[in-house]
Amino acid sequence: MNATLNAHMQALARALGRMRTQPLATCLSIAVIAIAILLPLGLYVLFDNVINAASHLNTEPNVNVYLKLATSDQEAKDVEKKLRAHSNSAQVTFVSREAALADMRKRANLSDLLADIDTNPLPHAFSIKPLSFEMSILEAMRKEVLSIPKVETVTMDFEWAKQLTRFARFVEHLVILLGGLLGAAVLFVVGNTIRLQMLTQKDEIVVARLIGAPRRFVLRPFLYFGALQGALAGLLAVAATLGIGLWVGGEVNAFVASYGGNFFTQGPSFEQSLSVITVAGIMGWLGALISVSMYWRQIETSR
Amino acid sequence: MITFSSVSKRYANGYEALKGISFTIENGEIVVVTGHSGAGKSTLLRLAAGIEFASTGNVLVNNQNLAQLKETGISVLRQNLGLVFQDHKLLFDRNVFGNAALPLEIAGFTRIEIGKRVRAALDKVGLLHREKAGLVSLSGGEQQRLCIARAIVNRPSILIADEPTGNLDQAYAATILDLFRSFNQVGVTVLLSTHDGSGLEHLKCRQVELEHGVIVR
Repeated sequence: MNATLNAHMQALARALGRMRTQPLATCLSIAVIAIAILLPLGLYVLFDNVINAASHLNTEPNVNVYLKLATSDQEAKDVEKKLRAHSNSAQVTFVSREAALADMRKRANLSDLLADIDTNPLPHAFSIKPLSFEMSILEAMRKEVLSIPKVETVTMDFEWAKQLTRFARFVEHLVILLGGLLGAAVLFVVGNTIRLQMLTQKDEIVVARLIGAPRRFVLRPFLYFGALQGALAGLLAVAATLGIGLWVGGEVNAFVASYGGNFFTQGPSFEQSLSVITVAGIMGWLGALISVSMYWRQIETSR
Repeated sequence: MITFSSVSKRYANGYEALKGISFTIENGEIVVVTGHSGAGKSTLLRLAAGIEFASTGNVLVNNQNLAQLKETGISVLRQNLGLVFQDHKLLFDRNVFGNAALPLEIAGFTRIEIGKRVRAALDKVGLLHREKAGLVSLSGGEQQRLCIARAIVNRPSILIADEPTGNLDQAYAATILDLFRSFNQVGVTVLLSTHDGSGLEHLKCRQVELEHGVIVR
């Protein structure tokens, strides 16, 4: 057990030694891999924040019915009766024009604007919670409600939520696709670095094999090198994502706050960061393994 | 003990380097294989070290048939042999100490133990004062001595040296042969090859002469 641990520690030390002897090449490789990881990671974090922001918004599906401005209270009650009688109405809530104005006055940045208005510009309105959300039924409902006298417009405020969900799915697929492509890029970058390492250290490999080095003695430092490169690149990508998040997030948070929102952008969590570093390390190890497997025979035959 | 039993070696291009070689090197013996270039000396030594394998016949080292050993077994065998190569096979990106330390790194020794053993080996070949020197600053003779230090650092029971005096003047060659004799005197089995039989008289060794892959004497 001690001998195995010792062998692994020596391999790790040799991998670190190789990094130390080629600092510029190592840093460049790590930077390239970090950029490859940063793109899908950044997109994922952005997507995560959009979903998080969407969850703060009221996405309860409603059909909103706005009456004409000149509609009297009695006429509004007549409309309400018809709406309640509709086959797709689960719940109907009346929002009077006075209540709507009072609510608007409470909202930030609008009280000053509304103070100068003598008359109430808002109509009476109804919010209907539908029974069915099937688009064909909702479209039919919209037409039927629009045909009721005194009804000005009908909006379905969950349409945007559907669009957001569609967009989220698109981004999710994009993240997976980019992640896959850039994961392959990590394999290629690490693989190429290891190939160059093997070529520059060919003499040492040949001599070591001649004097009895087992395959694992030669290969382990390369595998550690690849894994270290991947993990360090993952760490750099996480740090860059956090840095960009802080830089851009401050502006976004201030922008949202100016509209009375309380949403705050978030960087990758500790678990996500750890996962990125681990996966990048594994990809680096895998890239190194593929590379050494490909070039091993070439070096062995040159003995 | 090394035993060659009806050993032949034919390369892929059809060239037959060894033809039915049979002889035994007993433990603690010193044997020098002589012969002109192309006689098969290097091939014989490479077979004994498990670097190449016999086409027919058997090579036994310490009663292990090399043809039957797996890759790991060959690695373990080579770790227990001291190998001195004709072209030294030293690493120019390592200093003297680093070159001599390589077999111990392979064997998994600790840094402290490596330090002790490497310095002892360098002391034996007279290179202790140059342990930090780069290889480019070493003369041909010093490089040969470093190669020997690397071969003995693991305290092997068998030393195999291919043309260890090849590029050295006679005086220096005698010094190198003396080194091998000193190792033999402490019980190490030594198998050397040389194309030049001169200077072997005082080595008190058995000579095996090869000619065109066949033992002639």
